[in-house]
Amino acid sequence: MRRIVITGMGAICALGHDAPSVWKAMTEGRPGIGPIHHIQPGQLRNGGIAAEVADYDPKNHFDDARAALLDPFSEYALIAANEAIRQSGIQFQGEASARTAVVIGTGAGGETTRDDLYERLYGEHQGRFHPLGIVRMMMNAPASQVSMVHGITGPAFVVASACASSNHAFAQAAMMIRSGMVDAAVVGGTEACITLGTLRAWEAMRVLAPDTCRPFSKGRRGLVLGEGAAMYVLETLESAQKRGAEIICELVGTGMSSDAGDIAAPSDIGAAAAMNMALRDGGLAPEDIDYINAHGTGTVANDSTETRAIHRVFGEHARELLVSSTKSMHGHALGAGGALELVAAIGAIHDGIVPPTINYLEPDPACDLDYVPNVARERRVNAAISNSFAFGGLNAVVAVRRMG
Amino acid sequence: MSNVQQETFDIIAKQAKIELDTIKPESTLKDLGIASLDAIEVIFDIEEHFNINLPNEDTDFDNGTVGQLVEAIERQLAQKTSE
Repeated sequence: MRRIVITGMGAICALGHDAPSVWKAMTEGRPGIGPIHHIQPGQLRNGGIAAEVADYDPKNHFDDARAALLDPFSEYALIAANEAIRQSGIQFQGEASARTAVVIGTGAGGETTRDDLYERLYGEHQGRFHPLGIVRMMMNAPASQVSMVHGITGPAFVVASACASSNHAFAQAAMMIRSGMVDAAVVGGTEACITLGTLRAWEAMRVLAPDTCRPFSKGRRGLVLGEGAAMYVLETLESAQKRGAEIICELVGTGMSSDAGDIAAPSDIGAAAAMNMALRDGGLAPEDIDYINAHGTGTVANDSTETRAIHRVFGEHARELLVSSTKSMHGHALGAGGALELVAAIGAIHDGIVPPTINYLEPDPACDLDYVPNVARERRVNAAISNSFAFGGLNAVVAVRRMG
Repeated sequence: MSNVQQETFDIIAKQAKIELDTIKPESTLKDLGIASLDAIEVIFDIEEHFNINLPNEDTDFDNGTVGQLVEAIERQLAQKTSE
């Protein structure tokens, strides 16, 4: 079977505008959650907090012609993809262009564009819509933009599975590379969901925390939305070696499952099935895993269920490994979540530092693992998994390993 | 039984498809078999019916009783009248 390696990584979120800044912030336990800037507090019921991309001006990244086509969810995807491709040094010329895929996970789509258009229609009763509304908001826009800007002519599309979209994208790209359909893929996830309409809908579900995100902690009160993107260059080991590219780590396995149960409540059985499949797919034993970047949303239900799932899969080894949720810092970026969180899993392998779960108050008896509370920990990490479990019972897990 | 309690119990019975007389002030929504999104829908129906907002603190589905929920609704209604 063809081995798949990661040779480029890019990211933008509340913690920074490139992957090194995001990773550094994670190791420092820096909070990215705060009051929402571009929505007036009176318009929200529940605290009005999120993890927004800060100090950001698209004019610093795009010329006017390109900017006119972009909703923020495509801007973030392009910024992260540009960084990943630059780091990788990969070129998409000739046949390589057709043998590269673009697969991007997103949950919500072009929400800023949609919100603005509907405000004009229903709020201001304006009859005229901007003609570029559709090309900005369509779910596939980020994949199209990455393919256009970089001249990638192979298969390109978006996958949507809410909070698991990124990890489903990794799984899809890995299958295409393994099958021989393509030799490389630009893959990740993006989301720009901090809009009034989206926030009000999440508030109505009563899962948003009014204070902050405290995964696995006693006193946790829910999730906090985040936004951003992370993108990676995947290619075959052979291709990376031939190019003399620096290999960041190996993507060894992916696992996917569906709960086929409740539309919202999580299932430890479904979550465990996806983790087991990722281990099996990567030829890993449970004891090989040193770190789990948890889904860890900060809701009462997710964190206790995920803990039970980890016990199910790892048995006694669950007590040995480290588990943390970086959502405590960059918020829950929905379709971009798995991609942003892979920065943490890769960083842990690369630098031997496990990022913490911040805002942790005290242990909850239903969450009895080592969640690396509040302060990063030095630990050699050879292999890690990153969990994503979506509303609708769709689970996807990615396993990465140090390149030996 | 107060009107607010009567109307609240009617909403719960309808949403959960249970007999009205199975609902007691000391039952939790969990006891009544109303979990997850169903419980959130019950709260939504109550908010719509009384035109109030119930803070998350007043909607503890696991431990909060239906009686406490009625008290929270009455508090919100009183606040609305005084505004």
